[in-house]
Amino acid sequence: MMRLIALAGILIVAAALPGLLPPFYVRVLELFFFNAALALAWNIMGGFAGYWSFGHTAFIGIGAFAAAHVIGWTAMAASPFQMIFGIIVGTLFCAVFAAIIAYPILRLRGIYFAIVMLGISQVVAELSNNVNWVQGDVGIFIQGWLPHGVNPEIFYYYVFGCLLVFTAVVSALIRRGRFGYGLFAIREDEDTAQMLGVPTEQLKAAGFVVSAAIVGMLGATYGYSLGYFTTDSVFRVDFSLNMIIYCLIGGIGTIAGPIIGSAVFLFLTQVVLGQLLDLHLFVTGLVVIVIVLSMPDGVMGLMSAWPWRLRGSTLAKGAER
Amino acid sequence: MLFLQTAINGLVLGGVYSLAAVGFSLIFGALGVVNFTHGIFVISGAYASMILFREFGIDPFLATIPVALVFYCVGYVYQRFLIQLAVSRASLVASLLVTFGVALIARNFLQLGFSPDVRTITPHYSFSSFSFAGLHVDLVRLIAVSVSLILLLMMALLLAKTGFGRRIRATAQQPLAANLSGVNVPHVFGQTFGLGAAFASAAGAVLGIVQPFSPASEGFWTMNAFIVVVLGGVGSPSGALLGGVLLGLISSFTAQYIGPSFTTAMMFLVLVLMLLVRPQGLLGSALGESR
Repeated sequence: MMRLIALAGILIVAAALPGLLPPFYVRVLELFFFNAALALAWNIMGGFAGYWSFGHTAFIGIGAFAAAHVIGWTAMAASPFQMIFGIIVGTLFCAVFAAIIAYPILRLRGIYFAIVMLGISQVVAELSNNVNWVQGDVGIFIQGWLPHGVNPEIFYYYVFGCLLVFTAVVSALIRRGRFGYGLFAIREDEDTAQMLGVPTEQLKAAGFVVSAAIVGMLGATYGYSLGYFTTDSVFRVDFSLNMIIYCLIGGIGTIAGPIIGSAVFLFLTQVVLGQLLDLHLFVTGLVVIVIVLSMPDGVMGLMSAWPWRLRGSTLAKGAER
Repeated sequence: MLFLQTAINGLVLGGVYSLAAVGFSLIFGALGVVNFTHGIFVISGAYASMILFREFGIDPFLATIPVALVFYCVGYVYQRFLIQLAVSRASLVASLLVTFGVALIARNFLQLGFSPDVRTITPHYSFSSFSFAGLHVDLVRLIAVSVSLILLLMMALLLAKTGFGRRIRATAQQPLAANLSGVNVPHVFGQTFGLGAAFASAAGAVLGIVQPFSPASEGFWTMNAFIVVVLGGVGSPSGALLGGVLLGLISSFTAQYIGPSFTTAMMFLVLVLMLLVRPQGLLGSALGESR
């Protein structure tokens, strides 16, 4: 009950914030909502099932390009319906794409799955850049809808905020239900789970499709918020890596972890180190190393395992194959 | 004729790719660590030989020896103090993230130290080439490929014939059994990593003459090494050679007949297909972990 009240309080404060903060911080929070939702979506496959994808940015790009092309092709005028339609199109394209590749690539495990996803994201990105009708190299416009008299950053603050809440609710439902337990069983020991009658193939595929569809939804929305984008602005390796890093910092396989992780990391890089662009890579690298070495289970792991345990993390258990 | 010329270009490129990948293959095969710092080793080797060439006039091909020695030590220390720590405290997958973090840091320092500009090493013979029956080969490329093959052969002999190589192979097969037979396993892990780093940096010294490089190209060399290893098979110089040559052929034929902008897509497509069909590589034995 206390948790529900606290959550409601956070939501009310978040809804009121854009009126109080200067535009820069509204932008930072918008970025935070977007990234936290991405990390949560990655977490469904990477955290619950233990299948680390290094190429989830493929779905951001597919979602954005699918939405832009279908909207451009149907020549719909900008309206709330058009925007929702575009986002649904992006979501569906990613879901279908993920469903098609799910069976062959989910036979691979561990680092091989991670790398094959990286490879797929590179292939899709290169193709969108080089196949002319996709227009990845010259860029593509997508006309979003904006309520009259509202600043774009405030509008997208609420849009991404709603998407984050949606993603968190979906994750929580999966985690609480039979589906989530099946995914956890796969993470802990896939062969044993299969032997005990857990339908691992279907569960993995379903988890992968859900994760991809949510990322596609976010990608299409991101495309709307940009208005004009090229291959390089939606297929970004750093998107893929950030999803993993945020989950690691916060605590992989939890709901609050990815959100906390992206909050901590974005605060560090955008606000504290906003001036030191030269050292951005350095700081990112350093944070990753320190986090992996000092708290393999992230912030959530530290909180649940007080006093600090030094060995035998769930990350280690999940990844040992 | 065009076909033959493309094939020759591919073979020459492939020889250098093999050398660049063999260190990655060794580390992956023996330690199970996916070393994302690999590209940094390659690029740092190229920068080191560039400095040696500009400041002291040392020929880049000769520079491979001091560069490799320095990076052997770097690799040894890096493995013993950082990677070992990551593996023991978290997991093998987490060690991958640590190597990635180190790569980011090193890339940042390379950018600050050498600027993000693209560099080349140009000794006086770099523009001479010769023709044979209408086919064209640059002299530097020919030397580079010969040096690569010699170094690969050396590594193969080292692994197959010496006691040092035998210890490395024993540890790769079964660390516990090797330890029981009196092998100092952590030390051998460090040595193996050092050897991998040494070969990567030597490859960088050779590559600096053949191809332009910048701090940002480290990602390319890491991915390249991974593709080579997946194509050829993990842990053996012959696998790296086969994978490298195949990759060289794929990229030169794609560039010639489909279009230069499709080479990366094609390389990754082959990687994905290869992982799906035969994840142990053409020459490899099945890795239990892949599926």
